[in-house]
Amino acid sequence: MEGKLILLVEDNPDEETLTLRALARSGIDSQVVVARDGAEALDYLFGTGAYAGRDTTIMPTVTFLDLRLPKIDGLEVLRRMRADERTKLLPVVTLSSSDEKHDIPTCYESKANSYIGKPVSFIEFTETVRQLGQYWMELNVPPGI
Amino acid sequence: MSESWSGGRRTFIGIITDETERKRAEDERARHALALEAANKELEAFSYSVSHDLRAPLRSINGFSQALLDDCADELGESGQDYLHRVKASSEHMAELIDNLLQLSRITRSEMKWEQVDLSAIAGSIAAEVQRSQPERQVRFDIAEGLADQGDGRLLQVVLDNLLSNSWKFTAKQPQAHIEFGAERFDGVPAYFVRDNGAGFDMAYSGKLFGAFQRLHPTSEFEGTGVGLAIVQRVIHRHGGKVWAESAVDRGATFYFTLKTGEENGSGGKINLVGGRQSG
Repeated sequence: MEGKLILLVEDNPDEETLTLRALARSGIDSQVVVARDGAEALDYLFGTGAYAGRDTTIMPTVTFLDLRLPKIDGLEVLRRMRADERTKLLPVVTLSSSDEKHDIPTCYESKANSYIGKPVSFIEFTETVRQLGQYWMELNVPPGI
Repeated sequence: MSESWSGGRRTFIGIITDETERKRAEDERARHALALEAANKELEAFSYSVSHDLRAPLRSINGFSQALLDDCADELGESGQDYLHRVKASSEHMAELIDNLLQLSRITRSEMKWEQVDLSAIAGSIAAEVQRSQPERQVRFDIAEGLADQGDGRLLQVVLDNLLSNSWKFTAKQPQAHIEFGAERFDGVPAYFVRDNGAGFDMAYSGKLFGAFQRLHPTSEFEGTGVGLAIVQRVIHRHGGKVWAESAVDRGATFYFTLKTGEENGSGGKINLVGGRQSG
């Protein structure tokens, strides 16, 4: 998976640790960039703020986007990504820890590529992450190639 | 208002209605509707927050317990590992409780969509599904054909799912398990039933059957959150029907439900309504 990159947008440090752990345990060794709120995610993607000067020709192969984020929430991040030429086609998987069904159509209307509910059991979550990694990093052909 | 002349006298006849009371009632209704809408919105926001914010810490508890088991198994020793397995199992149980509670509250709020519902088809697909979940179990299903009625299909699916899954669960120790879905007449309306030859329960406790978080079996024997039958009862009541059960310990259980009210005080019912008290 050389040159492949995951952008993980997650504000909860526990969730971050567990997701990174699940990625490592599922043998996904891509580089992972973590953005801890929506503003940071947009700064990374567009090379602004703390990421000013970043080479924005390098874009994540997939973005794992938590919906509940401080400052700019996940849906708003998604909308702004879809409104910008540079990011409008990037694969985005929205992750939610709730099972509130009304989030789901909203995510797809905002052009998410996938919606995943995070299970409470870490063993199940690791399996979810393994399948996500396999699909989005290996099977799926990204739009830019 | 009318005007007339009689003997050089001009007479007016009019009707005066005091509109104050009607206006007041109208205003009050509008105020109530607004308050209800606000309360519903608040409840929705509350349950949204519950489902998000209560699950996140559970994911941490479960995940880091697993991390300890994975990374520090040797240092933990056997009893340490056992404790962590219990922590993990509890976090999963609590997640299930949260899901069931939210389901219960959603069922109360959701709007009913009346349609013709093919109950036999729903029961058949649920039976196939539970059988797939444990293919090693030998269970005979008898699903009566052609049972259909007016109701909300999504909610009735929840009812049959709960009743058939319960039968599946409580027949686990029965080597020749038998689960049946059918209908009888009760007070002039169809009473649908799910019958099994499983563990059953003591009718003395039947009053607790449909209360949320009420369980008649220890978790060690049969797992569950005790919300399933509360959900069933709520759905059936929303349909204007009744739900009740008949059972004896180790002699199986039969759960009946109707989807409309029968003839009141009807004596023609074939079914002995022993357990009917708790349904109403």
